[in-house]
Amino acid sequence: MLARAWRPVTRKNEFERDQTRRSFLTAVGHASLVYAFHFACSKKDEEPVSGVDDVLEADIHDAATEVRLDYREWLVVDLDGSVAAHTGRSELGQGLKTVLSNVICQGLELPESRVQLIMGDTELCPNDGPTTGSSSTRVVGWGYWLACERVRKDVLMLAARTLDCPEEELIYRQGEIFSTKDHAKRIGMGELGNGKVRLATVDTASPSQSGKHYQDNATLNVNAVAIVTGTQRYTGDVYPEDGLYGAFLLPPYHMHNTRLLSVDLSKAREIPDLVSIRHRRRRSVFALGRTYRSVQEALDTVGAQWKVPPRPRVFNNEQEIRSGAELVKVIEKRGNVEAGLERSQYVISETYITQYASQVPIETETAVAKVEGNRVTVWTGTQNPFLARERTARRLELPESQVRIIEMPVGGGFGAKAGPWTAAEAATLAQTAGVPVKYVYSRKEQFQRRGRYKESVLIDIASGVLPNGQLLARKIDIHQDTGKGTKEVYEASHVLTRLFKAPMPVRHSVMRGTSFVQTGYALESHTDVVAKTAGLDPVEFRKRNVVLPAFRPLLDACAEMIDFGTYQAPDDHGIGFAICNHGDRQLGAVAAEVSVDRPTGRVEVKRLCGAFDIGVIINVNTLIMGAKGAMIWGIGYALFEEVALNGHMAFTQSLNDYRISRFSAVPPIKVVFLDNQDPSSPRGCGELPVIPTIGAICNAVYDATSARFYTLPLTPERVKAALQS
Amino acid sequence: MTKVKLILNVNGETRQVTTDPEEPLLWVLRDQLRLTGTKFGCGEAICGACSVLVDHQAWRSCAIPVEAVANGEKITTIEGIGVPGRLSPLQRAFSEHTAFGCGFCTPGMIINATALLHANPHPSRIEIIATMDENLCRCGAYPAIIDASESMAACNQKE
Repeated sequence: MLARAWRPVTRKNEFERDQTRRSFLTAVGHASLVYAFHFACSKKDEEPVSGVDDVLEADIHDAATEVRLDYREWLVVDLDGSVAAHTGRSELGQGLKTVLSNVICQGLELPESRVQLIMGDTELCPNDGPTTGSSSTRVVGWGYWLACERVRKDVLMLAARTLDCPEEELIYRQGEIFSTKDHAKRIGMGELGNGKVRLATVDTASPSQSGKHYQDNATLNVNAVAIVTGTQRYTGDVYPEDGLYGAFLLPPYHMHNTRLLSVDLSKAREIPDLVSIRHRRRRSVFALGRTYRSVQEALDTVGAQWKVPPRPRVFNNEQEIRSGAELVKVIEKRGNVEAGLERSQYVISETYITQYASQVPIETETAVAKVEGNRVTVWTGTQNPFLARERTARRLELPESQVRIIEMPVGGGFGAKAGPWTAAEAATLAQTAGVPVKYVYSRKEQFQRRGRYKESVLIDIASGVLPNGQLLARKIDIHQDTGKGTKEVYEASHVLTRLFKAPMPVRHSVMRGTSFVQTGYALESHTDVVAKTAGLDPVEFRKRNVVLPAFRPLLDACAEMIDFGTYQAPDDHGIGFAICNHGDRQLGAVAAEVSVDRPTGRVEVKRLCGAFDIGVIINVNTLIMGAKGAMIWGIGYALFEEVALNGHMAFTQSLNDYRISRFSAVPPIKVVFLDNQDPSSPRGCGELPVIPTIGAICNAVYDATSARFYTLPLTPERVKAALQS
Repeated sequence: MTKVKLILNVNGETRQVTTDPEEPLLWVLRDQLRLTGTKFGCGEAICGACSVLVDHQAWRSCAIPVEAVANGEKITTIEGIGVPGRLSPLQRAFSEHTAFGCGFCTPGMIINATALLHANPHPSRIEIIATMDENLCRCGAYPAIIDASESMAACNQKE
């Protein structure tokens, strides 16, 4: 008897139920003891999670009909006691597979050889949503830790029944349960199954029952040997028999609604190793060949003529964004901001605009598709295999039950691989070709991707400050942003934060850091000007005005690490600070020292220091490494990364056109984490350090030159121009 | 261009391939010899994911026509550096330092670092950075990669 209120079964839910049932039965196979977990989150849902203390039971064959969308993580124990965890999440290089492996090995006291992880295969795994937003390590990792605690407790109860002795007498050790009073009474965990599925809910926001946390040991990265020997297989390393390379001709324009008017396929047909090139419908040309090169060269020769909607000749980004901007919502309102600004001693009003950016994973989007009759199999490295399944099925006009997505290790996602298009495209080509097709995006396609970029955000920000340096009023208008990155950082009596939508000239693509990047940069850059106007140093102003006291020790730590106050910066060197509230109690502060070469405008980051508060620390070495990597990404946003768009065209097509952080851009980096002994669940730290790094670098340049910059990145041309004016 | 038979020396073995002589070495290694540890990242010799050793020097295989290395040159791919169970000291250093994120750039990094250590067994940190600067990593593993390479210099190991 299930004591939950179930959602009504809609048609979509019915399908999901059938799919879940099929996958469940496939996955469970001959397993003995089967758990299905629902990872809820009381903080997220804002209501208490019910049913946490129960373990409910259902028939395996009936269970999937009851195992609705909620019980989305499966832990399956074989008769011999080995364990498999089936999760719909993906390994992107963020280390999720290692975390889950560690968690389950430690949680169930089993060696690595007895624990298997099955990830992201839509045939064998439940749909637990996409792998994004730095949430999986935190939520799913912690969820499995709590789940293992439940299993260890639950098997004692089951064993008590089977061994016919009191539960208090029993202990769990390394997959076995035995009686402390009579050692003959013992049973392996895998023998406790009874043909039923055990359903349990864990609240991932709750602390561990044992008070212990798992050890996230960096040296046990499960993929290490495969990676350093080149034997870890990515999508492009899949070679189906008789497969061909394939690709579509994509418009070179970043705009929507382009139309292919004419092509000339005659030159393409002369390319050796090209198997076929076709112009199908008014939109697409595709090529199939025995080699990657033949396909790319063929598409390059077709001389495509495109019809594009009329556009202004000059592509003025700010103009584009302001015209047609509509108020979407008021994110925060307190007091009367106009009156507050009026009453302020100093009012500083600025406008910032951030750049369009691209994720640039080193592995381009890739998919291998095989169509056999009505069955479709697609291998791909994606952040969302279930969305890929849905879109592929829709494109091929097949039921989703006929499509299987097999998740491969991802050579970097960063938001670029959250979409389903590559899988659907490869499947379309395979269906047309009648043979398996491998679609490897060229680097040019990876930059252009039908015009999907991290959005450029326009931010108007005005602050009113009192003579004593207290922030009285703050007005922020954010244009063309997804609106997620606006957590309160500074205290002010009068606040108005509004979000405006603008018809974006390009398609939005989520990219590491999301909108926290843009709003964080503008806010922190602006704050330095406000501080200076009020006559306070940047650390003092922030400490005085932050809404969360937890920021103060982070600012102090950064100031100390960079020797603020005592360090005599040489000429053309500057020091800058920035803070960030990434939500969910992830706080960060970064300090940067830069040097500016005035003749060339080149900015070099000389030192970076970061202090982060993310609650309980599981393994500080892993966190420090991750934080450094994130700060290196932040350097790119601040100094190098920009997609060049003008009118219709995206000029950025190659790694020659778009600079990312390299070895030489990396300064000495010091990172500390506040160990505040928070007993609750770990919060993760994937994106947080990116954001204040940008503000700190920009503020350091401001400190060095007194020049203001209202747009990113701080390229040598921009810096030189600002210095000369 | 018609296909020709070429003899390549790859990882100490003689391999024969039938191919367009202008086909980039990268794709001959991957598609014909199924040595898939060498990766395609850009096709323009910028990212370094396709790096292989040619007579102990690091070359970008996406930019080398296969006929250019069919004259007895010793080609070494990541598979020739070490295999699971028999890692090279540098591979072990990368593994122990977790000098990778997603791992896609790692074979190229190891090839380039191997070439560096062959030419200069005791590179300084600055020399490591200068030599490796043309290999791109998006996951930000640069500090760990430098540490792993530097640990080899300290150990006085030669590849």
